[in-house]
Amino acid sequence: MVVRESRRIRAVLAAACVSGLLLAGPAALITATSAAADSSTSATSGTTLRAAMDSSGVDTLNPFLAYFDGALGIFGDVYPALNSVSADGTSGPYLASSWTTSADKLTWTFKIRSGLTWSDGQPLTAEDAAWTFNLIMTNSTAATANGSLVSNFASVSAPDATTLVITTKVPQANMLSVSVPVTGIPIVPKHIWEQHTGDLKNFKNDSYPLVGYGPWQLTDYKPDQYAKLDANKTFVLGAPKFDHLIEPVYKTQDAAVAALRSGQLDFVSTINPTQYQALRGQQNLDSFDAAYHHWVAVEMNPGAKTRSGKAIGTGNPALADPAVRTAIALATDKKTLVTKVINGLGEPGAGYLPPAWKQWAWTPPAGEALDYDPAKANATLDTAGYTKGSDGIRIDPKTHKPLELRLGIHSDSARDTAISTYMSGWLAAVGIKVDIQSLSMSKLNDNLAKGDWDLLMDSWSTGADPTYLLGIQTCATLPMDDGTGGNTDAFYCNPEFDKLFQQQQTAFDPAQRSQIVGQMQDILYKANSDLILYYDNQLNVVRTDTVKNLAAGTADANGMLPAQALFWDYINAAPAKAAGSSSSSGAVGWGVGAAAVVLLAAGGLVIRRRRSNSDERE
Amino acid sequence: MSLATDPPAAADPATGARNHDSAPRAAAARSAFLHYLGSKLLAALVSFAITLLIGFVLFQLMPADPVQTLTRGHPTSYAQMVHLRHQLGLDQPVWRRFVTFVANTLQGKLGDSWQFQQPVSGLIAARLWPTLLLTGASTVLSIVVGLWLGVRSGWRHGGLLDKVTSSVALTFWSVPTFWLGMILLIVFSVGLGPIPALFPAGGMSDPSLPQTGFTHIVDVARHLVLPAATLVLVVFAQYTTIMRSSIIDELGSPYLLTARAKGLTDALVRRRHAVPNALLPSVTVIFLQLGGLVTGAITVETVFSWPGLGYLTYQALQVPDLPLLQGTFIFFSASVILMNLLADVAYRFLDPRVRAQ
Amino acid sequence: MSTSTLTISAPDTSHPTRGGALLRFLRAFVKRPAGLAGLAILVCVAVLALAAPLYMGQNDLDVTKVSGPLLAPPSGGYPLGTDQAGRSILLLVLWGARSSLAIGAIATLLTVLLGSSVGLLAGHYQGWIGKGLMHLTDWFIALPSLPLAISLAAVLGQGSTSITIAIAVTSWTGTARLVRAQTLAVEARPYIERARALGAGNLQVMLRHVLPNVAPLIMVSSTLTVASAILSETTLTFLGLGDPTSVSWGSMLDAAFAGGAMTAGAWWYLLPPGVAILIVVLGFTLTGRAVEHILNPRMGVGT
Repeated sequence: MVVRESRRIRAVLAAACVSGLLLAGPAALITATSAAADSSTSATSGTTLRAAMDSSGVDTLNPFLAYFDGALGIFGDVYPALNSVSADGTSGPYLASSWTTSADKLTWTFKIRSGLTWSDGQPLTAEDAAWTFNLIMTNSTAATANGSLVSNFASVSAPDATTLVITTKVPQANMLSVSVPVTGIPIVPKHIWEQHTGDLKNFKNDSYPLVGYGPWQLTDYKPDQYAKLDANKTFVLGAPKFDHLIEPVYKTQDAAVAALRSGQLDFVSTINPTQYQALRGQQNLDSFDAAYHHWVAVEMNPGAKTRSGKAIGTGNPALADPAVRTAIALATDKKTLVTKVINGLGEPGAGYLPPAWKQWAWTPPAGEALDYDPAKANATLDTAGYTKGSDGIRIDPKTHKPLELRLGIHSDSARDTAISTYMSGWLAAVGIKVDIQSLSMSKLNDNLAKGDWDLLMDSWSTGADPTYLLGIQTCATLPMDDGTGGNTDAFYCNPEFDKLFQQQQTAFDPAQRSQIVGQMQDILYKANSDLILYYDNQLNVVRTDTVKNLAAGTADANGMLPAQALFWDYINAAPAKAAGSSSSSGAVGWGVGAAAVVLLAAGGLVIRRRRSNSDERE
Repeated sequence: MSLATDPPAAADPATGARNHDSAPRAAAARSAFLHYLGSKLLAALVSFAITLLIGFVLFQLMPADPVQTLTRGHPTSYAQMVHLRHQLGLDQPVWRRFVTFVANTLQGKLGDSWQFQQPVSGLIAARLWPTLLLTGASTVLSIVVGLWLGVRSGWRHGGLLDKVTSSVALTFWSVPTFWLGMILLIVFSVGLGPIPALFPAGGMSDPSLPQTGFTHIVDVARHLVLPAATLVLVVFAQYTTIMRSSIIDELGSPYLLTARAKGLTDALVRRRHAVPNALLPSVTVIFLQLGGLVTGAITVETVFSWPGLGYLTYQALQVPDLPLLQGTFIFFSASVILMNLLADVAYRFLDPRVRAQ
Repeated sequence: MSTSTLTISAPDTSHPTRGGALLRFLRAFVKRPAGLAGLAILVCVAVLALAAPLYMGQNDLDVTKVSGPLLAPPSGGYPLGTDQAGRSILLLVLWGARSSLAIGAIATLLTVLLGSSVGLLAGHYQGWIGKGLMHLTDWFIALPSLPLAISLAAVLGQGSTSITIAIAVTSWTGTARLVRAQTLAVEARPYIERARALGAGNLQVMLRHVLPNVAPLIMVSSTLTVASAILSETTLTFLGLGDPTSVSWGSMLDAAFAGGAMTAGAWWYLLPPGVAILIVVLGFTLTGRAVEHILNPRMGVGT
């Protein structure tokens, strides 16, 4: 009778084990079988470039909705655009082979290439482009991601298959940046998408192979796992040298780098300085740094106001005093941040636009640069009447309160954490107490919009066209009185700046536009509402035994390459030898993997056998 | 790490005879069982209702406006923002949102994720299998390893194996799971000193290999080794401890003396008499763990780039993407509640004393 | 989990003599080497943590004042190497003990307060109040603790306060059940009836008679709670819910993980905080188990 009980228990135990297996088994089967359908389309023959996807991943494959960089990178590869952008930021031909503007600069006529076909064989014409733009202009869901790029469009039409006519409300100097790979509007096949306009919000765009046109075609995508692409060997701007492109998803750059080292990956972009230095000089690896159109800054709240001029938020009023902002700039040792936080792989900040775009590069005139000078910072504050209290913290002469500022940082950013500890040390040295607040992305942006902040960590990257980045410093981006409608960067508002902003938008002469943009940067530098800390380099690593020619351009004297565009890098990359590499060190892993499968199966069998045996053993 | 119910004492062999019940008593027992089942079911439902309430209250307390977050870094006009806010249902009063929320949840509609702009239920479904694979495999391994060690160390408690097992188990219990994962990752995946990189650093499969057939299964198993090992090392101690103490409890029982007196070998006595009776408490623990293990995967999946629910939760946390966080919270809670219910039922089904009550 | 089977065998008929019990307890404790070792660890760590301001200055941890090499392996001046800002890992680990222990202790205090009050009330008032409280406890137990803690901390905002609250809210249930069971056992004893007959009110019975008998149990349970609270703190901080700029073991691991320490092979950055957690958690667990074994001899042999 004892054993009777036990059999029951054993049965349940076995059931628990089996349910464990049942949990595991179908999962393995499903992953195995669901992939079976795809394997026919993505042939395993040919050469494969394995590049880690941007760690942001893919939010959605619907190009009208997506925001994440991983998704934008894929759209650049699988959907065409009117223009291409070279790595140095100049626009060139893509679908449009040439273009003209009317005398009043309001009408653009693009000549669209003929003879191109979508990947399903349907012709690719000007009508597809016109339809895509019109959809974004008329359908609010379609405008989710890229609506603002067409906000100045009056009409778009395709009088014939090779002509596209766009008219704008006011002249628009950045027209050639509106539809470009990755950062601009991707053009989608009308014959596929017109069936989905009614339910655009819920259309996931996940039937593979995806119908598109570009250097690559998307043949498979698994959320959080990988995207697989095949080369378009007839691509109009030059066929990719590899036959396949696989973009696995790694949640952390360390995992991606480990995969690269063991030969499971060929390329990882945007690694951090610590990883870069650890990998430099390793066999079969080429870690290269390239100019990057990105900066990191501290925003200072100059006195948040709404569009009508009503003061809002809880910002410390002392920051409205230019002397305090100047003192903070003087107390910040940007050079040390570059050497310690990014291991010297970047430049101390000055101008508002990253100097990687040479056409907008601006440096403060000699004598006006606010270089690190704590003594001068102290003197500035002394002169302005902020006297030090007994505890070393200065007292605001107007409010008679200690000068204490909140510094909001992104809780998920190791960079913000590192920088904030330096800032707090330097500001303490000039008598300003800093209270570091670690905030989630939502919370930080919420505080920002309401003006409930003193100092905030901020970073931006920009495409070659600076319109958006400059735009968020204009008065038009301040919130309205009800708190909505704002997307200001730091509540900066200056009519003089706004006037220049209008001017540069309609300045069609590059030199003239550059000069206006320079003036705008001068104004921002003196205002100190955005203290640009540094421009960091883009650090990448590629395997040299499997890939060559990936990085574009030649290195300068410091070994730094010009800015890279992955769109071109993936097209130019070529296999370094005939076959893909096979990693031998993983052999044991394979053995253990096989053993684990056998063990699990055997475990299940033993449990079942035991159960049946226990009857006989009575 | 705390367990939900009292680990029941080991089955008392003397009551085993109650299995031979007469018909009327069996009927009474059946109705008692149904009553028991009903009350447990009701309790589970109430728990779920509370989960819904807590979930909603928690995620409505959050004041941040997600639209600012969603659109930051992207050219966005005011009209786009208003549209987005309307699309997300953020312009409705709170009570209305709650009614909608409950109705939708019961239909399996968990709302749309802010960052992915697609239904949360779909996101969860797409990541369910990888998580089940990881937790399922870890459960099987932990059960096998944990119970075996528990039996051995209980049978010869105070012996070498017992001491080693206890120390190892205690050590692994005392470290953060994700840290253990990181160490395993460095040693076996990056390679340390003479140890080569044996296992892949992350993901569930190597996409450049065929995604079918035996190669694929082995490939997945290879990717599974490190994350599963991490979970097993942390969890197996739970089974070992409980199995060990129930074996020790059995040791003094008269029926074991009888069995020995019959001349059975030590191994036979252990296998056929002590172990079966000592198993009961472990079974309950196993079911409780099944629910808990799913949540244990949160940090492990993050460390090993495992494409499952745990990492989805982590992604939700970064924004925070409230509908998604709410969705995973409800899903995790529901699975734990379900497993607890199963544990209760299994326990009742197994323990003669409870059945007889 | 082993605490949940705990019942304390105390004399039934009379008030336990506290002084004698304490002496007996100490004598038994000294005989348990594992418990002694655990206690020794805890005392050492506590002393090192409390005395930290005596042997190190704030300048040693101020990134703008330190001058060490960046992310360098152990050397003479830096026995455990340096972090990415050139600070000594050894000093960071020692300083980190302060906030890790503080969060562990405060979270435990909250847990114990919450758990014991609920348990005591649920055990004493056996009517609908007790039932209601017990149902509440059961509901909370059914909720998975990590997702609940994550959700709570996410809603409350980043920082050690919200982490502490999240830990307390998700771990009080164990204590509540224990205390309730023990309260029931104590209140069944004859001397309680005698006290009632002599006119003791509810509050008096609970505080004067029940609480002293439940206290040892609460102590055991809280020792083990500190251990898991420290682990939870690390996990929540790692998930990005803590304060990354305060020096704690969790934030050190977070910084190492996010900063590429694994690729750099910076074992001296990853190992020490983890080992420190291991040691402290081990210390609490060993101590707690030893006390548990003494109070409950039925637990049997081992560890």
